[in-house]
Amino acid sequence: MADVIKMPQPNDPFDPENLRLDQNFAETAGVEKLLRTVPVKKPHRQSLIRVHPSPDYRLQTAIIELHEERETYLVCPEVAYQETAEVTPVTIYTAITRPGVVFLWPVKQPTPDGKIIEWHRSAREAAEDAMSHWIFVRPNMALGAYEIVRAPATIPDPVWPTKTLKALLTIGFREKLINNLNHPVLQRLRGET
Amino acid sequence: MTLDTWREIWLVDFEFMSPPGERPDVVCVVARELKTNRTIRLWRDQLGPLPPYSIGPDCLFIAYYASAELGCHLTLGWPMPARILDLFTEFRNQTNGLPTIAGNSLVGALAAYGLDSIGADEKTEMRDLVMRGGQWSDDERNAILDYCQSDVDALVRLLPAMLPHIDLPRALLRGRYMAAAACMEYAGVPIDTGMLAQFRAHWTGIQDELIACIDADYHCFDGRTFKREKFAAWLVRAGIPWPQLESGELDLSDDAFREAARSRPEVAPLRELRSALSDLRLNDLAVGRDGRNRLILSAFRARTGRNQPSNSKFIFGPSTWLRGLIKPPPGCGVTYVDWSQQEFGIAAALSGDPNMLTAYQSGDPYLAFAKLAGAVPQDATKQTHGAQRDLFKACVLAVQYGMGSDSLALRIGKPPVVARDLLRAHQETFRKFWLWSDAAVDHATCHNSLHTVFGWTLHIGVDSNPRSLRNFPMQANGAEMLRLACCLATERGVEVCAPVHDAVLICAPLDQLENGIAAMRAAMAEASRVVLSGFELGTDANIVRYPDRYMDKRGARMWAEVTSLINNIRIKDVI
Repeated sequence: MADVIKMPQPNDPFDPENLRLDQNFAETAGVEKLLRTVPVKKPHRQSLIRVHPSPDYRLQTAIIELHEERETYLVCPEVAYQETAEVTPVTIYTAITRPGVVFLWPVKQPTPDGKIIEWHRSAREAAEDAMSHWIFVRPNMALGAYEIVRAPATIPDPVWPTKTLKALLTIGFREKLINNLNHPVLQRLRGET
Repeated sequence: MTLDTWREIWLVDFEFMSPPGERPDVVCVVARELKTNRTIRLWRDQLGPLPPYSIGPDCLFIAYYASAELGCHLTLGWPMPARILDLFTEFRNQTNGLPTIAGNSLVGALAAYGLDSIGADEKTEMRDLVMRGGQWSDDERNAILDYCQSDVDALVRLLPAMLPHIDLPRALLRGRYMAAAACMEYAGVPIDTGMLAQFRAHWTGIQDELIACIDADYHCFDGRTFKREKFAAWLVRAGIPWPQLESGELDLSDDAFREAARSRPEVAPLRELRSALSDLRLNDLAVGRDGRNRLILSAFRARTGRNQPSNSKFIFGPSTWLRGLIKPPPGCGVTYVDWSQQEFGIAAALSGDPNMLTAYQSGDPYLAFAKLAGAVPQDATKQTHGAQRDLFKACVLAVQYGMGSDSLALRIGKPPVVARDLLRAHQETFRKFWLWSDAAVDHATCHNSLHTVFGWTLHIGVDSNPRSLRNFPMQANGAEMLRLACCLATERGVEVCAPVHDAVLICAPLDQLENGIAAMRAAMAEASRVVLSGFELGTDANIVRYPDRYMDKRGARMWAEVTSLINNIRIKDVI
């Protein structure tokens, strides 16, 4: 059997080392996954969730909920100041489920009179906890509050979208932005339609 | 690199006889030098100890399905050409995945490029004349030489048509493999011909008893008929989930049995029995007078570029029990050398997934995966957490086969939610791999093709399957790795008897066996480093020394039953 002597031949066109083609298909495929749907909702009791820990990914704002239609509208500040009847101050958190579905989670803030509602307080605590742990957020009717159930610490951190919160809000509240007092939702709530 | 790179360019075709299992018996050769148009026509009795054409590194040897021509070189004791361009491999590479109008033969390639060729009837007639052997008249000799020259003429027409589409440096690497294929076809796999003769003599006679022996554990046969409802009853008794067809009937395909046997070894004897009863044609096994199983390896026939030899002619066909016929000649040993978890290693290296690389290098990627997913403690071992390891192993294999959660659930005998959790754990643990894998499918969809590190290309046709696309980089780069390893090993003098998917069988005299194994493993390690940009895959070696025989554990039970029955017959004959 012949001895094997490996000679480095950087310019040898017959050396397989010099014939290798790139297998990094991510660069050659040229595709980009577009985020076109961002639900606005509470977490489902069976969904493990995380909340984005960065302050850049949460917003103190106001919403109006149409309970029959199960629709949530984002209210611009200048409208919220003038139309306070149905407007609810909330913190909108950016959250993600274990399968990677990004959603916006509005959590109600304390009412202006300082009244503490356990559902809202426990939801805020859950959102805080979900910034560092995978959790289930489960409503307990008997308790009158949400329960936080932590998953094992071994679950890897989520991969967050690169879009800004503004971009996520734009997608999530597309066609559901109340930016003037004549908005049809406000007219309806005032009984004008 | 262009054709001007070479001082001489020779287009070569041989005519030869090749009875099943035998080495080629050369009849004549015709060669033409492209630049000077010089043509050489030589009958078998005019051939000398060296080729009548130049084969040095400054000359190019061109043929169609070159392993046949190079097998003739070996028969004649001629050295291999240094640079080989095989228009067959290049035609396959240009059309792989797409329909061809007249197949992949030389005639098919000519037709695809709108070039004339001799008629199929005339070709068959001339081949029959060659294969007839014996003495040929002067007119017959001239007719055979003319026929041989017509193929060289065809190459001269085909070359300029194909050349603009050929990536020459990588084409020469494929041509280099055809020389290795010729060496392996020339070597062949050593067979226990005495035992084979016994099998051939008694196979039909022992079938009823064989069924009775093996079916005693299953009760699935009625006479020689496999009964679906009895099989269903056994599945229930054994607690084995089984895939169903859309009709709701049990899937009784050999693929279903093979798949089931991977996770439930008790299925293996039944699968071997069914396969043997339905498909085994012992007389088709191509064994030459020297006791070697020898056949065309059909290099580059599979879409992945892997070899695709005839199942019935090859000892490494579907009947694993028959591999017990592999026996080294006196004074020799054979060794089956395979890469450890080749697909997983390729996926890890090409995707660059750090967790996957760590898992591969741990030596037990399945347990490492379970640890990375947090399913077992960091100090878990195969012994302490065997059941969990099996689940994660099943998940890794399921991903490699492109299985969904339902199929995985069936395989592991757990509810679909468990399978979904396992698959999700795979996606979370090996995120970079999944991004890369998704990108490979996206690349294929956007560019209508996927390629390996050395340019073996799958063109996306109308029947492309996303699962096949996803698996292509692992399978096809695995094929590149095997081809390169075979090139390196045969060029270094290792007697490689056959390539077998991600493995090879080598043979050597006992006093040289260890060196041969070391050389083979070194070649496989080097090939993995080249294909995977420096990442080395490990290998395992199963050594068999004369007078022992090779045995695949999946077929051990069937082998034992068959040989026992034949021994009983022989004893009765003696008495």
